Amino acid sequence: MKDRTISRIPITLRVALAMGALMIVLGMVASQQVLRSLSRLHDDRLREIARLHVEGLSVALGPFVLHKDVWEIYDTLDRARVASDGQRMLFTVVADDRNRVLAATDPLRAPVDSDATPFSKDASELSALTASGNAPQARVRAPLLVAGRTVGQIVTEIDVGDLVAERQRVSFYLLLANAGATALLAFAGYFLVARMLKPVTLLAQHMDDAGGAPSRIPESEIPRSDTELARLLRTFNTMTGAIDARAEAEKRLAERERFVSLGRLSSSLAHEINNPLGGLLNTVDTIRTYADRPEVVQKSVELLERGLVHLKDVSRAILDENRLDRAGLPLRRTDFDDLKLLFEPEAARRRQSLDWQVQADAADLVSLPSAPVRQIVLNLLLNASAAAPEGGRIGLSVDPRDGGIELTITDDGRGLSAQDLDRLMSSVPVAPGGGVGLRLVHDLVAGLGGRIRHARDAGRTSLVVFLPKGEEA
Amino acid sequence: MRRRTLIGSLAASAVLPLPSILRAQQLFRLALTPVFLDNDAAVIERLRDALSAGMGRDIDLVQRRTYQEITGALLDGSVDAAWLCGYPFLQHRSQLSLLGVPVWRGQPRYQSYLIASAGDEAGSLGELRGGMHAFSDPDSNSGFLVTASDLARMGETPDSFFARTIFTWGHRNVVRAVAGSLVRSGSVDGYVWEALAAVEPDLVGRTRIVSRSEWLGFPPFAARTDRMGDADVTTLQRALLGMDGTPAGRKALDLLFLDRIAEPDVRLFDGIAARMAELG
Repeated sequence: MKDRTISRIPITLRVALAMGALMIVLGMVASQQVLRSLSRLHDDRLREIARLHVEGLSVALGPFVLHKDVWEIYDTLDRARVASDGQRMLFTVVADDRNRVLAATDPLRAPVDSDATPFSKDASELSALTASGNAPQARVRAPLLVAGRTVGQIVTEIDVGDLVAERQRVSFYLLLANAGATALLAFAGYFLVARMLKPVTLLAQHMDDAGGAPSRIPESEIPRSDTELARLLRTFNTMTGAIDARAEAEKRLAERERFVSLGRLSSSLAHEINNPLGGLLNTVDTIRTYADRPEVVQKSVELLERGLVHLKDVSRAILDENRLDRAGLPLRRTDFDDLKLLFEPEAARRRQSLDWQVQADAADLVSLPSAPVRQIVLNLLLNASAAAPEGGRIGLSVDPRDGGIELTITDDGRGLSAQDLDRLMSSVPVAPGGGVGLRLVHDLVAGLGGRIRHARDAGRTSLVVFLPKGEEA
Repeated sequence: MRRRTLIGSLAASAVLPLPSILRAQQLFRLALTPVFLDNDAAVIERLRDALSAGMGRDIDLVQRRTYQEITGALLDGSVDAAWLCGYPFLQHRSQLSLLGVPVWRGQPRYQSYLIASAGDEAGSLGELRGGMHAFSDPDSNSGFLVTASDLARMGETPDSFFARTIFTWGHRNVVRAVAGSLVRSGSVDGYVWEALAAVEPDLVGRTRIVSRSEWLGFPPFAARTDRMGDADVTTLQRALLGMDGTPAGRKALDLLFLDRIAEPDVRLFDGIAARMAELG
C-alpha cells in the first residue's frame, strides 16, 4: 500500500526529495559531530574548574586532614564557601582515610564522624567528570595526599548549572543554524535536481499527452546543453513519428478493408444484375413482337419495371455502401433491407438459407450511426457465409436489448479459428488478413462502445454484438 | 628555636653601642589575645593609633594564634605588655602584674556564655551531653575554664561528657562553629558574643544562650612584674588609663564597645581563681 503510494509520486519529485533527505541526514551527522565536540569542550572546561577547585582545597586541607583537625578543616571549607558564595562550590565534605566525615561545609548534611560513603559513592573521579547529563550539579571526589600518602578524600558538589545552560543554549542555536543550513541545502538540492530532471518531466508530459497518445516534443524545448537527455528526447520524437506513421498505415488499411467486403460481393452482385438482364431483354423482345397486343405489352412493361426497380435497388445499395458522405446518417430499418439485398445473392450462390429477423424498430435504431453498423453486419454475414457449408444456414437477428440493440449472426460452420477470434475479440496486434475485416469489426464495435460475445453451441457459431444507444443527434 | 635566635640577636644588639635615635625608635610591643574581633583590622588599627598617641610613640600590636603563645611571648620578653585573659594571668600570677582592667557596661566584669544553635532546645549544660562542643582555647577562662569547671562539679570532664570537643582558637570561631552547626554547643566570651551581636547579627542570630556564668574579672592588661618600673610600661599604663580622655582613645573604646580602662584590682579575679581551684 505504502510502496504504491511512494511509487505514485513522480520520479522527478522522488529524486529531488531523496536529495533533500540526503542533505538532512548530512546536516544531522554534522550537527551530531559538532555537538560531540562541544560536549567534549565543556567536559574539559568542567574538569579544569573541578581540578582547580579540588586541588586548591587539597593543598590547604592536607595537613589538617593528616592531624584530623576538625576545626581547621571546617574553617578552611567555610571560608572557601563564603569566598565562593553563589559561585561554583555548593557542598564539600572531607573524610579521613577510613571515610569518616571530618568536616563539611554543611555539618547538618554531613555531621562530623558520620559515614561519608553516601557522598563518595555517587561521586565521579576528576577524569571521569562530565557535564553531559542535564543535572545542574556535578559531584566529584579526589583523594587528599600528603607527601604522597593518601590521608583522606574530598567530595565536592559543583554548580554546573551555568555550563549546562550554556551547553543547552549553544546546542539550541547550533541546531537552529544547522537546521536552517540543512533546509537551505535540501531546498537547493531539490531545486537543482528538479531542474536537472526537467527534461524527464517534459518527456513524461509528452508521453501521455492529451489522452494517452504520445506527442512530439517541440525542438525549442529540447535542452542544448545536456547531450544525453537531449538524445533521449530526440529518440522519443523519432519514436513518436514512427507511431504516428504506423497509426496512419493502420487507418489506411482499415479504409481498404471497407472495400474488401464489396469485392467479395462483386461476383454475386454481377450475377444479380446479369440474371435479370436476360429476362428483361426477353421482355423487350416480347414487347417488340407483340406490340399490337396491348395486354401483352402491359404485362411485359410491368415485368420490365419490376426488373429495373430491382436493378435500381441493387445499384443503390452498392452505391450506398460506398458513399463517403453517409457518415452521420442515423440507422434505419431500410439499412437492413439494403444489407439483405446485397447479401442474398451471395447466400443464394452458395445455396445457403437465410434466416432474417429484424425485431428492432426505428426508435431503437435511430441513435446509432448507419455506416459502421452496416459495415459490422455485412462483414460478419460474409464471414458467416464463408464459414457455413454449401446449403448451410445463416441467421441474422436484430433485437432491442437493455438500452441498445443486439445483433446476432449465426452460422453452422466449423467455428472461428483462434487467430480469427484474436482479431475479433482482442486488441493484440495481428498480421493483416484472415477473415473479412474482423479487426475492423472489432475496432468499429469498440468505437461505438459496444462489445462482442462469441458462443459455439450444437454445431452453430453465434456472434452477438451489443451496441448501446448513442446520444441522439 | 627561631624565637630564641631572635631574642639572642636582640640581646646582642642591645649591648652594641647603637645610636640613641635608633633605640628611641624601637617599637613598643603590645600583644593581644584573640579575645575579640581579631580579624577586624580597623579595630586593631584604631587601638594602635590611640595607644601610640597616648604614649607618644609608635607601638606594635602583636597577635598570635593561641593564648599560650601570647603568654609565652610576654614571659620571655618578646613583647612588652599584653591584653591577657584572666585565666593565664592567674596561672602566671607570680610573674605578672596588672596595668588596667577594661570596664564594659559599667563594670570591669564579664560573663562566660554557654551557647547552642538557635533551634536547639537545651536549657542547661546537662542537656548538652553527648553532643559536640567547641571551646575557644584551653587557656581561656570564658572559652574553656568556666565550662570545664562546671563539668568538674558534675564529676565529668569535657571528653567524658561530650562526644567530641574541638578548640577553635578564637571566640568568634566558637560562634561560627555553633552557628554553622559544626558543633552542638560552645563556650564563648559573653563580651565577644554581645559585641558580635551588634557587628554580625546574622552570625550571632543563629545561636542562642543556654546559660550564663557568674560575673568574672574582665581580661586585663598585664606586664611582667619585673618590668613594671620601666618607663615604657608606665607610659603605656598612663595611656591605657587615660584613653577615654582622648578623641582617638574614645574612638577605639567605642569600636571595642568598652567604657574605659580602670585601675586594676586583683580581687576581681577571685572568681576565676575559685574555678581554677575546682578544676584542680
